[in-house]
Order: sequence, then C-alpha cells, then structure tokens
Amino acid sequence: MKTQVTELFGMEVYTEKAIRVGIVDDAILNVDSKKIDFLAVSELNPELIQLKGFKGIKIPYRIIRSIGDIIIIRHFSNMFPAKDAD
Amino acid sequence: MKSTFSRSLSKKKVMSTDGMVIGTIRNIMVDLDSGQVDSLVVRPDAGFDATGYTVDGDRLMIPFEAVRDIRDYIVVDRYLSKQ
Repeated sequence: MKTQVTELFGMEVYTEKAIRVGIVDDAILNVDSKKIDFLAVSELNPELIQLKGFKGIKIPYRIIRSIGDIIIIRHFSNMFPAKDAD
Repeated sequence: MKSTFSRSLSKKKVMSTDGMVIGTIRNIMVDLDSGQVDSLVVRPDAGFDATGYTVDGDRLMIPFEAVRDIRDYIVVDRYLSKQ
C-alpha cells in the first residue's frame, strides 16, 4: 500500500500498552537505502519524557508495530522509567 | 547525502541529470508496511515535456531509485526516472 508521506504528519503515536507518546512532526528518509529511518515525534507526553532544550524525539521505524488512524510502537520497559516506577 | 527530513524536501526543485529542471516536489509516496520510499510526486514546470514519464493527472511520479542526490536540488537519473 502506497501512502503520501504527509498523511503521517499529525498522527498520534501510542505504545502497544496504550500510552501516548506524541504526534508525528516529520519523517527522516535515508536516501541511500531508500527507506524511512526515523519518525520525528513532538508534543511529547510530559509524563513519559521531559526534554530540556529539545522539541522532540526520533523514533526508529523498526519499532513501529502498525500504522492506521494512529501509530502503535513497541513498548520497552526501560524506555519510560517514570511510568514504570508507578 | 545520507538522510534528510522529508519536510525539508517540500518545495525543492527536481532536476534531471541532463540539467533540465523537471518541476517542484509536491509529495513523497511511501510504503508504510516496509518503510520503503516508493516515489516522488512532482508538479512539472509549465512547458515541460512529460513524454516517457509516469503521469498521474497533472503530477509526475518519479521512482525513488532515480534519486542520485539531494542538496539544493533533487537530482534524478534521466533514464531511471522514466519508468
């Protein structure tokens, strides 16, 4: 299935444990391998990640589980220490 | 050139390896299952001869294999882009 890359922008990103991560701001394309390397995600969930001086994070494309109306990525227990401490 | 933000590509000019400006990039088609970048959607400049290119309405589809490099222009191979 071919999709326009602009359709990704603004999509909500959740982990597979239904925790909101943020929204897609941009896609980072690798010109040599002709693949999407990362999704740039901003407006992050402050309970998960707090950045100082940065707007967002890069999510590797390989941890994406599926893309539909929203994007679901894999959940790593050490990825969001603040949440796992609860 | 290794990697690039897709938003930074918007409104960039597309040039063929024979030095001809084809037009302006409008969008990029991707395969979301594999993450593969499929093709560029280009709006051709007025008067550009689109024979040989894949045309979809008033847009040209240029396969991403044709992309040689991306700096100030997006340079595409003159033969590979006509598929």
